[in-house]
Amino acid sequence: MIEKLAQLHPEIALFAATCIVMVLGLAKSSFWRGMSVWVTGLGLVAALVLSFFSPQTDGMLPNSLPYLKAMIAAIGLMILPLMGGTVDRWYERTVGRGASFDPLRVTRGEFYAFYLLSLMGVMLCVTADDLIWLFLALELTSLPTYIMVAMSTPRLRSQEAGVKYFFLGALSAATFLYGFAMLYGATGTTQLQDIAIHFRTEGMGLIGTLGLVMALIGVSFKIAAAPMHFYTPDVYQGAASPVSAFLAFAPKAAGFVVMIQLLSTVGWGWGEHGIALPEALRITLWVIAAITMTFGNVLALLQSNAKRMLAYSSIAHSGYMLVGLLVGPGQGPIAGNGLGAAMFYLLCYGVMNLGAFAVLACLEKRDEHGELVEIETVEDLRGLHAARPGLAWAMTLCALSLLGMPPLLGFWGKLGLFTSGISAGEIGLVVIMGLNSAVAAFYYLRLVRAVMLDTRDEDMDRPALTDMFGRRVAAGLSAVGVLVVVIWAGQLQAASDHATEVNPRIRQFNERVVEAEETPVIESIARND
Amino acid sequence: MISVMQTIPATLASHAPAAAGAAHAPTAPGDSSAIWLILIPLLPLVSSILCGIYRAWGVTSKLPGYTTVLALAVSFIVTLTGYLSFGGAGVQIVHGFQWLNISWGEAHGQSLTANFSLYIDSLTWLWMLFVTGLATLIALYSTEYMSEDQKNGGYARYFSFFSLFVFAMSCLVMGDNLLLLYLGWEGVGLCSYLLIGYYYTKPAAVAAAKKAFIVNRIGDLGLALGMMLAFVEFGSLEFSEIFARVAEIQATVAAGGHVSWQIEAIPLLLMVGAFGKSAQLPLYVWLPDAMEGPTPVSALIHAATMVTAGVYLIARFLPLFALNPTSLAIVAWVGGLTALLAATIGMSQFDIKRVMAYSTVSQLGYMFLGLGVLTATGAAYHVFTHAFFKATLFLSCGAVMHGFAGQLDLRKLSGLRKLKGWGIVTLAMLVGCLCLAGFPFTSGFFSKDMILAEAFVTQGPGYQALGILALITAGMTAYYSFRVFFRVFCGPVEFHPSDDHHGDSEEEHEAHEDAEGHHGFHPHAPGWAINLVLMVLIVGSLAAAIPYFVDKENHGWVGGLVHDSTAGHLVLPTVAHGAEDAAHGAEAVAHGEGFWSDPHKWMYYVSGTIGFIGIGLAWLIHMTRRTEAATAPIADGLKNAMRPVSTWCERKWYVDEFYDIIFRYPLKILSHLFYLLDQLLVDGLVNFAGAVPRMLGRSLRPSQNGLLQSYAVGMGGGVAVILFIVWILL
Repeated sequence: MIEKLAQLHPEIALFAATCIVMVLGLAKSSFWRGMSVWVTGLGLVAALVLSFFSPQTDGMLPNSLPYLKAMIAAIGLMILPLMGGTVDRWYERTVGRGASFDPLRVTRGEFYAFYLLSLMGVMLCVTADDLIWLFLALELTSLPTYIMVAMSTPRLRSQEAGVKYFFLGALSAATFLYGFAMLYGATGTTQLQDIAIHFRTEGMGLIGTLGLVMALIGVSFKIAAAPMHFYTPDVYQGAASPVSAFLAFAPKAAGFVVMIQLLSTVGWGWGEHGIALPEALRITLWVIAAITMTFGNVLALLQSNAKRMLAYSSIAHSGYMLVGLLVGPGQGPIAGNGLGAAMFYLLCYGVMNLGAFAVLACLEKRDEHGELVEIETVEDLRGLHAARPGLAWAMTLCALSLLGMPPLLGFWGKLGLFTSGISAGEIGLVVIMGLNSAVAAFYYLRLVRAVMLDTRDEDMDRPALTDMFGRRVAAGLSAVGVLVVVIWAGQLQAASDHATEVNPRIRQFNERVVEAEETPVIESIARND
Repeated sequence: MISVMQTIPATLASHAPAAAGAAHAPTAPGDSSAIWLILIPLLPLVSSILCGIYRAWGVTSKLPGYTTVLALAVSFIVTLTGYLSFGGAGVQIVHGFQWLNISWGEAHGQSLTANFSLYIDSLTWLWMLFVTGLATLIALYSTEYMSEDQKNGGYARYFSFFSLFVFAMSCLVMGDNLLLLYLGWEGVGLCSYLLIGYYYTKPAAVAAAKKAFIVNRIGDLGLALGMMLAFVEFGSLEFSEIFARVAEIQATVAAGGHVSWQIEAIPLLLMVGAFGKSAQLPLYVWLPDAMEGPTPVSALIHAATMVTAGVYLIARFLPLFALNPTSLAIVAWVGGLTALLAATIGMSQFDIKRVMAYSTVSQLGYMFLGLGVLTATGAAYHVFTHAFFKATLFLSCGAVMHGFAGQLDLRKLSGLRKLKGWGIVTLAMLVGCLCLAGFPFTSGFFSKDMILAEAFVTQGPGYQALGILALITAGMTAYYSFRVFFRVFCGPVEFHPSDDHHGDSEEEHEAHEDAEGHHGFHPHAPGWAINLVLMVLIVGSLAAAIPYFVDKENHGWVGGLVHDSTAGHLVLPTVAHGAEDAAHGAEAVAHGEGFWSDPHKWMYYVSGTIGFIGIGLAWLIHMTRRTEAATAPIADGLKNAMRPVSTWCERKWYVDEFYDIIFRYPLKILSHLFYLLDQLLVDGLVNFAGAVPRMLGRSLRPSQNGLLQSYAVGMGGGVAVILFIVWILL
């Protein structure tokens, strides 16, 4: 129990910060209310530092804690300045003008607390070694985000998005919970390692396979992959841009981590060279990946609303990362570690996607009721270069990076996915990925053209710069990150590869079983047919 | 004893003990812990970024200039310290940071490693010493020269590009793999483009920048292809691995094996890159136009450092070139012909900066000739001396241009040495011209002789004829360099400022026109920074002769450096060559017995005499009977007498026009044809390809109707379909 606790230090730090923030948000003095965001940051910094000291575990991915948790905390820190001022902005102004403070009307404390709780959920997914834990951690990630979407703007559309997100999320939770139940039914245990051993010795069986596939499909809601992707554009559009940026990272990170955990129960010990997934799972993932990336890209192509476009692009990027999951940890320490590539890509995506949303969040215009709202459409971005060169460059860099233009960060991320796909022999999928990247160029370049090349018509009113400085900081951080993190791309990739090495004990166990019993698993699949 | 390279025993193994100095087998480089050497490229990069920030802040002081000078000076000191600590220690690999490490399999050749690491051997030291040293001096010179642009922000921009150039150049020279070299190669090309086009409001500068960029692109394509082929053939881009493989191939060749055509193609491709960057036939056309940039840039980039990158590339990969004698012969002939062609054009130009530009092309030709006849020592030494004296010459021209409001026409300037404050400039010009002309006991004399002599003794297709051509070129060089000196610095005092470069208003300019004599124009003599730099360079140009007498057994200090580097490990292929080598070896041993049998000895006298003749001719034609700046009676008489020839030369052999006719017009016609084809066929296809995803998108769009129920149905349906597929599969 004690050694388990040692793995949870970052989560504990986040939880402590959550409690403080929740109380601080209700403080009578506006100074202390304002402190809530700083305490959130402090908690994240503490979690980031503690992450580096995370011990090795005995789980499926024994080295994964430091890298993954540090990545989650670091990206969380980068998104935080964007979050500042999302809620309570108008109410604080009213209070500032002398109105009396009513604790029932502020939501700031809850907002940051939910933010921290959600990130904590992602970290718990990393630490989890049990199906129940996995389920709880996943729900801890998602539940706060449902509320964050609804409360992010005072408009009806946000509430609609929140409700939609919640209902569909519940549907997906039901799906993967059903899958978990079937896994328990097939193996009689909820421990991931025991499940793995059971699968190895007794075979997966129909129930086991179906359970795993259902769990995977259910989790694909979190990463916005087909067939659970439908909610994405509506929710991203409905939420405030900072929350959309958060949605594009935190639940996605949790989803991918859970998927890796689930896939590790079968081990990547199948196929011709003993490095692939079982055929049924491979085909499932293959189809999901191909449909997801194609769907995301072709629909983004038609969008004139930048936020929806980014939502579709988020779907497409999940498709790319699924290729890495399909490949698995690969043969050797470095060559073609698809999990490492996917986790590195997640980091790259977190950095570059933030910038695109941040630029949208930085600009405001008056809607038909005369209220200041964040801009949404590509049209609003036109001619940004003349008015706000810094923001225009941030958008350009991030869009080019999302597109995978060398030498920006996105290129290095995608490179790993491509090479791992090739090394695993998934040429077909890699070709689809390449074609999709080409299609994606169209709409990312449209963003670039709008901000850099187009000029604004005289009669259009200019979007105003938001007075929230943090948002500009976030945009700058992301743009600089896209350029600068490239320098350490090699090290980060290596760290990511190291983090996703499968427990050698489990590998050896797999090999022993395969050698000793002449692959009973395959026979059992044959029996079931 | 003529360079060990030609007489070498057939294998590396037996060669290694023969070479002087520490163990330097290229197969076993030592990993160095001297991580501080990484400062050499890093400091210029930092300075470049800082200057960029100054530009954004609108700094108008001389801060950018001094930042750059400081960074480059420290970089030079680090280089010097590094050389003194590790100069003789063989190959050092300094691992900076892991940059690229991609693998798609475990086997050899299935991974691509290109780290930001430095491969430092004696060749690197040679190059880095003069690159950082000269860059420091020229940056100091620029602090004064560019001061007119302080107000409009051009100053910071200039120094930002300048530092970036030094960073790129050090990546090129110090990189431990071909990719880093290529990065540096493209980086210097980019900086060259940016700096040639520095006066971007001037159409000529913009056109010149474009021309340089495009012509270089042709060469860079060769380099890129060469790099890719090297990766395919050697399975690595890292120098240490490549040289290990080359040593293996040398061993098989020595044992009578064959070199595959792929390996033979690599030097041919690399060569194209070198021709582009170092302005050799047929790609030299960009360099003279590059003089549109600020003069210090011409001095540093387009005379002293960047254009020697091609020489560096070939010297670095000389063992690879030696595997394909054809490539060496091409290098030698291209170099020799370029030298001659550029010298003839240089003889007839009136713009002194252009004369210097053509002389640069011509001298680069000598260096390539040296590489082709396998005297990497001669080529490297000539690079070294040329860097000094050409920088001196250009900076003197720059001082003239700066002082006379952009006037560079030698017909409009005369007798400058008699003006007050121009003494140091005159002296610098004189020393530079003497070195360039190969006047006895100057640095240029020794370095050029090394190449000339080698051309006469090396076996190769028509190398003797090439040697004679090179001798004639040497005479022409002496003539055109002193033509400039006599016309501009000697004779009656007379000067006209340039028309397009008046700071004053137009009316004032008109008024000046009416005034007699100098139009009331007062040239301003150079200030301390320019004079200081010129003095240092005068000393440097003269002192560059000293290394020739150091370490005599290796043909001077530079020779020692070259021997210890990768350029010192050569083996000529094919058995047939073995016999030639033996014969040649005997001949080489015979050097030094009689006077006439050692070309190095008689060359001193022959080339010295030819240099005197050239200078004498220049004096006769351009000094005697000259009363005013514009006319030199003998020169004009001669020019009229040989009008077709002189016009031919003056119009630069019509090479630009020739390229227009054979490349540009056909390309234009072709491009119109392709355009039509493109419109009809390709666009149709592309539009079709573009329409497919759109159509797909349109058909999928209704699924996103915003209704919760239909989303839920979609999700449930999806789950059902996938489960059904899995069930079927099982």
